[in-house]
Amino acid sequence: MATKTPEQINDDLLRPLSGISGRYALSAALLAGVAVAAFCAFFYQAYTGLGVSGLRWPVFWGFYITNFVFWIGLSHAGTLISAILRLSNATWRRPVTRCAEVITVFALSIGAMFPIIHLGRPWLAFWLFPYPSERRIWPNIHSPLLWDFFAINTYLIASVTFLLLPIIPDMALVRDRAAGLRKKIYRALALGWTGTPKQWHRLETAMHVMAIVVIPVAVSVHSIVSWDFAMAPVPMWHSTIFAPYFVCGAIFSGIAALLLAMALLRKFLHLEEYLLPIHFENLGKLLLVMSVLWFYFIFAERLTTWYGNSVGEMPVFWATQHGSYAPLFWTMMFCNFLIPVPILAIRKLRSITGTAIASFTIVIGMWLERFLIIVPSLSHKYLTYSWGTYRPTWVEITITAGTFSGLALLYMIFSKVVPIISIWELKVGLRQVPHSARIIVEPKEVGAD
Amino acid sequence: MQRRDFLKISAVAGATAALEGCGNPDHQLIRFVPEEDLIPGIATWKPSICTLCPAGCGLLVRVMQGEAEVVREGRLGLLKMGLAKKLEGNPAHPINQGKLCPRGQAGLQVTYHPDRIQGPLARVGPRGSGQFREMTWESATRQLASQLADLQESGQEGSLALITSPLRGQKRAILDAFANHFKKSLPVELAFFDDSTIRAANLASFGHALPLTLDLGQSNYVVSFGADFLGTWNSPVAQAIGFGRMRTGRPGERAKFVQFEQRISQTGASADEWIPVQPGTEGAVALGLAHVMLAENLRPAAGAGHAGLLLEGWSEGLPDYAPEKIAAQTGVKAETIVRIAREAAAHDPAVAILGGAAAAHTNGLVGALAANALNALLGSVGKPGGILFPPLLAAKESGISLEILASQINSRAAAAKVLLVYNADPVFSAPAAWGVRAALDKIPFIASFSSFLDETTMLADLILPDHSPLESWLDDAPPSGSARTIRSVAPPAMHPLHNTRSMPDVLLDLAHQLGGDLASTLPWKTYDEAIEASFAALYKEKGTKIAKDADEFWQKAQDQGGWWSTEPESVPASPAGAPSGVVKPRAPEFAGDPNDYPFHFLPFASQLLYDGSLAHLPWMQEAPDPLSTVMWGTWVEVNPRTARKLSLQPGDLVEVTSPHGKLEAPALVNPGIAPDVIAMPVGQGHQNFTRYASGRGANPISILSPLTVEGTQSLAWAATRVKLSVVGRGKLILFGGSLTEVSPELEHR
Amino acid sequence: MAHRWGMVIDLDRCTGCEACVVACRAENNIATVGEEQAGLSRAKHWIRVERYYEGEFPDVKVKFQPVLCQQCDAAPCETVCPTFASYHTGEGLNGQIYNRCIGTRYCANACPYEVRFFNFFNPVWDKPLHLQLNPDVSVRTVGVMEKCTFCVQRIKAGEIQAEAEKRELKDGEIRPACVQSCPPEAMVFGDLNDAESRASRLANSRRRTKLLAELGTRPKVTYLQRDSWHGDENA
Ligand SMILES: Nc1nc2c(c(=O)[nH]1)N[C@H]1C(S)=C(S)[C@@H](COP(=O)(O)OP(=O)(O)OC[C@H]3O[C@@H](n4cnc5c(=O)[nH]c(N)nc54)[C@H](O)[C@@H]3O)O[C@H]1N2
Ligand SMILES: Nc1nc2c(c(=O)[nH]1)N[C@H]1C(S)=C(S)[C@@H](COP(=O)(O)OP(=O)(O)OC[C@H]3O[C@@H](n4cnc5c(=O)[nH]c(N)nc54)[C@H](O)[C@@H]3O)O[C@H]1N2
Ligand code: SF4
Ligand code: SF4
Ligand code: SF4
Ligand code: SF4
Ligand code: SF4
Repeated sequence: MATKTPEQINDDLLRPLSGISGRYALSAALLAGVAVAAFCAFFYQAYTGLGVSGLRWPVFWGFYITNFVFWIGLSHAGTLISAILRLSNATWRRPVTRCAEVITVFALSIGAMFPIIHLGRPWLAFWLFPYPSERRIWPNIHSPLLWDFFAINTYLIASVTFLLLPIIPDMALVRDRAAGLRKKIYRALALGWTGTPKQWHRLETAMHVMAIVVIPVAVSVHSIVSWDFAMAPVPMWHSTIFAPYFVCGAIFSGIAALLLAMALLRKFLHLEEYLLPIHFENLGKLLLVMSVLWFYFIFAERLTTWYGNSVGEMPVFWATQHGSYAPLFWTMMFCNFLIPVPILAIRKLRSITGTAIASFTIVIGMWLERFLIIVPSLSHKYLTYSWGTYRPTWVEITITAGTFSGLALLYMIFSKVVPIISIWELKVGLRQVPHSARIIVEPKEVGAD
Repeated sequence: MQRRDFLKISAVAGATAALEGCGNPDHQLIRFVPEEDLIPGIATWKPSICTLCPAGCGLLVRVMQGEAEVVREGRLGLLKMGLAKKLEGNPAHPINQGKLCPRGQAGLQVTYHPDRIQGPLARVGPRGSGQFREMTWESATRQLASQLADLQESGQEGSLALITSPLRGQKRAILDAFANHFKKSLPVELAFFDDSTIRAANLASFGHALPLTLDLGQSNYVVSFGADFLGTWNSPVAQAIGFGRMRTGRPGERAKFVQFEQRISQTGASADEWIPVQPGTEGAVALGLAHVMLAENLRPAAGAGHAGLLLEGWSEGLPDYAPEKIAAQTGVKAETIVRIAREAAAHDPAVAILGGAAAAHTNGLVGALAANALNALLGSVGKPGGILFPPLLAAKESGISLEILASQINSRAAAAKVLLVYNADPVFSAPAAWGVRAALDKIPFIASFSSFLDETTMLADLILPDHSPLESWLDDAPPSGSARTIRSVAPPAMHPLHNTRSMPDVLLDLAHQLGGDLASTLPWKTYDEAIEASFAALYKEKGTKIAKDADEFWQKAQDQGGWWSTEPESVPASPAGAPSGVVKPRAPEFAGDPNDYPFHFLPFASQLLYDGSLAHLPWMQEAPDPLSTVMWGTWVEVNPRTARKLSLQPGDLVEVTSPHGKLEAPALVNPGIAPDVIAMPVGQGHQNFTRYASGRGANPISILSPLTVEGTQSLAWAATRVKLSVVGRGKLILFGGSLTEVSPELEHR
Repeated sequence: MAHRWGMVIDLDRCTGCEACVVACRAENNIATVGEEQAGLSRAKHWIRVERYYEGEFPDVKVKFQPVLCQQCDAAPCETVCPTFASYHTGEGLNGQIYNRCIGTRYCANACPYEVRFFNFFNPVWDKPLHLQLNPDVSVRTVGVMEKCTFCVQRIKAGEIQAEAEKRELKDGEIRPACVQSCPPEAMVFGDLNDAESRASRLANSRRRTKLLAELGTRPKVTYLQRDSWHGDENA
């Protein structure tokens, strides 16, 4: 990278913004098709009733809430990691932050749809919104769902801001190189950025403040998501470990998703010279730490449950250890720990392909983890007479698939509109301006042409 | 997608959905002028009678104004009318004292059933095709009248056959008069779970063929042999009320209840001690208990009177029934029999009950005699807390059995030209081996009074649909459940929804069309006139102290739901009426070689579908069976050990084969059934019985062997042996998850 | 003093007959869902009779335990409901306002007794079965949660009647449908604030237990455990 000139950087990173290849169009169409199918499935469900899903007594939450937790968890990839890397001044972070922040915004938006998708009467979702209504009833602030509402909205606003702020200078760059309609659009997106020292100063200050703000917000979001479960007296939900366990799992799955996204971008957008093995190496190490930490949490959770030997919890425990959910449980253990740890721990294996494989299994494993937190507990509550099962239907599967393609599609579109690697930050990195100086003045460089 | 867009789209979808609901032209119906005055929103409570099982509980019907689509004078329209909304027990009624069983409450669904036959129908297609055409009542009754007139004119009066459920009161009187005019004999009474064996035993033991009434509320020790007295047997609501009192209704006193049977029934589930016994040896256990009491001088042998002496060996102290001698045969340990005999003798009043499968073996009559003798020995006959026999206002005699009728027709020993079927489904309720279906095919003209197209009504040439019970006048004389003499009566609780007529009214109409003797023995124009006449007679006999005249008595009876005596009564035993001779207890016989058919087959009455006559009610189909928790289906119960031996998983489809047929049903593992017994509920397996019951499950009655209870005409429905094989995976809908309260995972660690 | 409605269920009397189950369905307009949906565990039974086997043949025992909403004083279903559709009434009942329910089903997860049932579809009554519907009880639509209300319509009717007649309510005057039907009178309903009511007195029986008492939900339903026969205690 050190060999690249600013001009080459501009060329390389702005190239994806112009022109649409046939392969791109085809993949986009495919992804859009699945997303449209998911929309149709949802409207069919809303019109007919939730009975078209596989939910039943007593398993009232299934795929949708699994997806909710999964996507919200995934959203911890970006903003949180990027903020931590920014604050710790990890210089290698520069090509990575934007990929990461985008994941947050999209995963969060998708995740936030699930509480609505899963409602019995989704058209009344606005009743969750605290607005002064004629019935003079506010939503119930005791309900963790309300906490969710606030936490997710706060996180969404923060992440969108966090993503958009550092995009402004790059928009100006595109604006200055574009012509015609494109120029008009990018002029609007650049919000009048001219690169004055004052603007740079404000941007840097805002980024710093946001980086500090966003960390506790992100931690709170997944803590609160965990409390959706932990606040209910359901066997193996009602646990103090849930908040840190969920935050850990969120960051874990987030990094994995980020690595996976980076590997794909690197290949498809030909960013081999920007997303370097060092990035995969460093994030891989982080992923290794998270995998071990995640194992520590699940071990602590299982061990205390087992020793506690409580009548309410043991049926859930055994259902996952060697009962009907055991195949899923052990698949999860392989995906989250047994496969990734050797790959990530052995330097030779911690290659780009290696980390991508590890990340892939972790994404699957973490989805299963959420499913295994929700369903076995609900199907084995206290009165054994009420025990039941759950099996998803095509509606839930389609909607789930639709959100995955939705995320991929949004990502593809985004990478066509905005440089997926922050150009100005890269350049700043090039010039080795000491971050601690907090003076980033390079007005001429942007918009010089 | 952003959240805002999504909300917009769903709002549009919602609005489109809402529009569809409005302005549907189908609902532009004419409005009829209401036939009654009702205040909207105010409920009135009207007495009625439950007809869903023979117990005859008293009802209170909650009636409120509503709007029903009805046909009046051939026109469809909306009518504001009183509609039955809920059935509750009549608190004044001595039998059920305000309570109802689950079946009784579902009686509402009979009235509002979507597949009710809405008017008279004549068959057009071939028999059994289910093709009928609508017709008027005038032409329907004329057609039947001319069939009957033909019989009269050709001197073939004897070739009228009648099959009904066991009836009581004036309904029975009208039907009997009708039958008597033609056939000079009684109608065939058909009830799968009938009490004729018990009544025959009572005749032999006590000199009267009355069914027994229990007084559990005052009992201190209850030994029951196979009787599901809290679920379906005899008068279950009355018995359950007594059971509650006997358990915790008397401070400081709590009776013990011991149940002997092969499979834990709903009743057995409430027992303090549940003891498995070999099928058909229940009577032997009863005699074993008597032996101990005699041997230990706990009761004097003579105390049992005729009921004891009737049994061979009684005066000698029943030497063959020493506990050690019967232990192997009955499967009950000697010390258990000794202990229970001592406990029973020490806890006065103690009562023995025998019923259900125990009375449905070939030796069931002897079993019932043994139980009677045990009661007599315990001194509990006619005593509070024992067994009582309230006097009946009219003696009850039965005609020939369906089995005999069918065999007579099939062997051409008797010809039946015209068959009238009321409130019975002989095709469903009879073993295939009886040949009922073939016999019906030989009858040229079949008229059914059924409200539903059941298996038998499908074969009818003419259908004359009855009112639902809530729409009809009703009267009843329930013989059991209360020690008081009872005559129930109820005017219709609501107007008829459809173009139906009450069966007794149709018979009276026919009698008038036919004229002659028949018309003069049935002088009333309508059923309610007949009931009123019987109450006028009752007034003279019993009512002069309570009402100033017959009209007032009649009015009071209608308001209250009937007349009942104020004091409990019990007809004393009169050996004079009993046949003489000594009975030798016998071992039970079973159809099927034990080597080929290793299992005893135990059909049992379903708490919800009863004998299958309630399988058409969705409330009953969707209520979980108390023990299996099955909904909407049938099942075969197998002991876990047997299941393991057969490598059978719960839910596997099994084939049950008897010497007389086979059926398929999903298997259910039941820890409370003997390893050599296979049990199956009666109720499902209807080919034709409305949208809710047709084609669902299998009918265990169909594969039963045609053995009878020796000394009676009753079917020995517990005397068939079967074999079992797994044929695939079945479908079983269970409401309950786990069999045990503590997770098996926790228990077996 | 305000009423505090409670129930006592005597397991020594309950025969598992299911009369209460059908009575509740009839009184409260609980739709049947049909074979297919019942097969998917969507049948709605505001009260159910749990059956448990104990032991192995021939030493088998069966226990029946009717389970309905326990009307918890510390009801987990209430705190989690975002719209106050599940809420605590002035008389301590756990109210369920169908119109307010948006169908998160969170309450059903939180309820340890699994007594909350969801309308997966709009209920259907094959005509004219709908004529039976009780006009005092609303019919629930698709997407809302429903459960035992202690027959609040009967409670209200009784209270209004007593008020109109300017008198106190009599003990036993108000009986929910299940209580009304129960043949062995295993269920007793009454005011727990009235120390003299039958329910209050029975709730102090030596046989008293609360279902899942350890969870701290403080149910207003008391179960009296099966008693043993005096002879058994010496054995
Ligand atoms: N066909 C027909 N049309 C009629 C009438 C009729 O009898 N038949 N009656 C007429 C009369 S008298 C009236 S008053 C009107 C009534 O007409 P509307 O006011 O439309 O009354 P509803 O349909 O009962 O309720 C409206 C909506 O409020 C929702 N809702 C319930 N609780 C709440 C809440 O707490 N907050 C919010 N935001 N919404 C809630 C319900 O889900 C429902 O969708 O209809 C008139 N139109
Ligand atoms: N469960 C439930 N209950 C509700 C409501 C609800 O949504 N659900 N809505 C509430 C509301 S908003 C309202 S306004 C009330 C409405 O309650 P009601 O006022 O009881 O309204 P309706 O039942 O529509 O009409 C009453 C009667 O008036 C008769 N009628 C029609 N035209 C005339 C006429 O010209 N003269 C006379 N004398 N009678 C006539 C009708 O046939 C009917 O029997 O219900 C309230 N109750
Ligand atoms: S026992 Fe049940 S079905 Fe029989 S008459 Fe009484 S309420 Fe009706
Ligand atoms: S039993 Fe369940 S539904 Fe009823 S109040 Fe308690 S938590 Fe709520
Ligand atoms: S399902 Fe309805 S009652 Fe239950 S928590 Fe959600 S909104 Fe509240
Ligand atoms: S109290 Fe009422 S609503 Fe509750 S179970 Fe009993 S009948 Fe049903
Ligand atoms: S009605 Fe009474 S006896 Fe019957 S199951 Fe319900 S609680 Fe038990």
